[in-house]
Amino acid sequence: MKIFICGFGTVGQGVAETILNKKEFFEERYGENVLVVGATDSTTYALDENGLDLKKLLATKKTTSNVGNDEYTDVVKVLASSDFDVLIEVTPTDIDTGGVGLGNIEYALGHGKDVITVNKGPLALKYKELMDLAKSNRCMFRFEGSVGGAMPIINLCNSDLAGQRIKSIRGIFNGTCNYILSKMDSGQPFEQALKEAKQQGYAEADPTYDIEGYDSACKVVILANSVFGRNVTFDDVDITGITSINADAVALAKSSGMVIRLIGEVSATKLEVAPRLIPKGHPLSLAGTLNTAEIITELAGPITVSGSGAGRLETASAIMSDLVAIMDRRLGE
Amino acid sequence: MIVNAELFVNDLPGQLIGSLEPISLVDGNILGVVHNRDKIIDHRICVNVTFEVSERQLEHLKMLWKARDIVISSLGSVHETFSMNYILIGDVNAQYIEGLLKMVNEATTLDEINVSYSSKSMKTASHTSLISVKARYEDNLDKIDAILRKECRNANVTYIRGV
Repeated sequence: MKIFICGFGTVGQGVAETILNKKEFFEERYGENVLVVGATDSTTYALDENGLDLKKLLATKKTTSNVGNDEYTDVVKVLASSDFDVLIEVTPTDIDTGGVGLGNIEYALGHGKDVITVNKGPLALKYKELMDLAKSNRCMFRFEGSVGGAMPIINLCNSDLAGQRIKSIRGIFNGTCNYILSKMDSGQPFEQALKEAKQQGYAEADPTYDIEGYDSACKVVILANSVFGRNVTFDDVDITGITSINADAVALAKSSGMVIRLIGEVSATKLEVAPRLIPKGHPLSLAGTLNTAEIITELAGPITVSGSGAGRLETASAIMSDLVAIMDRRLGE
Repeated sequence: MIVNAELFVNDLPGQLIGSLEPISLVDGNILGVVHNRDKIIDHRICVNVTFEVSERQLEHLKMLWKARDIVISSLGSVHETFSMNYILIGDVNAQYIEGLLKMVNEATTLDEINVSYSSKSMKTASHTSLISVKARYEDNLDKIDAILRKECRNANVTYIRGV
């Protein structure tokens, strides 16, 4: 199986490292190894039709900040020059245009390649178009890690809970917001909690995408389309962020045995991201950076899952599960 | 609705079953029965029964009991209530909250409403208040949500509701 990795930042490097470490697993399960035949970062690329040396690739990125020696201006031309089976698309999310990731996914699916992505932008903006493209070219298009990172949710709903109606899903889908709100539980003002989140590396220098609820909204859209079969985009989500939550509100909630959490909720009719009052002890009252989701099912009742919402190897674990699903289908177990 | 009834039945074989059968006839669901043989009045034995039944069927049930010579000593209902909490942040003084609750009361029936304010915000322009309600029916909460959501959006007030 020949893989092309687009995006060699934290997640891309995690994927390369995981493929390297799971060499024996692939050989044992499929009788063949996974070859990474191409990789790009924001400016450079590396290609080898016989498989790149992943140890060397990771070392090069670490020492030079570049994945390869050759620079490119059009990433699609780089993809076109390589023969691969699966594109792992992990470039940065752009929720305004879909960014470079959208073009990469469209190219790969349009040319009969299977795609795995954790890039929320293309999924939040063009889900239906991309699924139609995948279907018409008989490609597999998987994106488990786009919601909740390592927390299994999309494949859980569509495979393990198949055959029963999912009534609703609500959950904590942004670790940064949850970290800030958890800190506010213990009396820290919003600004200080945000500053600490930045210092700890949980929040970006510009945290707008997280604290205004846009990141959670992308995930709610992905769940609505992939689990509930809806046809919605980012603009359809009713979004309220956490910037107006003050110490008074947190204290009032606390006096009634509750905490405030940013909750994404999706059902056949709902599509919302908003701060909500959660009773202490409820599965959604979770503190810290973990993601969690409560899935209300027709037959099994409520099912709760939680896990790391981000991280190099955590996200790579979700990509691995998608890769294994594709290889099982293409090569047989 | 959940109903608790105290009945007196003749002290004869089969009378206990005879007092419970009408509940099934009106599609009721018996939750508990106490056959109180220590409490005998006028040769009748006391039976306490708790059951779930549609409010519309209650009159029919009373008629069935009376037709079987069963004396209804007391009949009380226990209502299930649905609770919800809301926090409002912004320019929400007591007068504003009163206006909101007036709208809510006009649209639906609530069993209980409690409002509390953060002590600090009572003195400042930006207020924070917690509204706790108890409603008889779950769809009343949907009505309240729709009203508060709309009004808070129009007034640029942050609206946080429970789950």
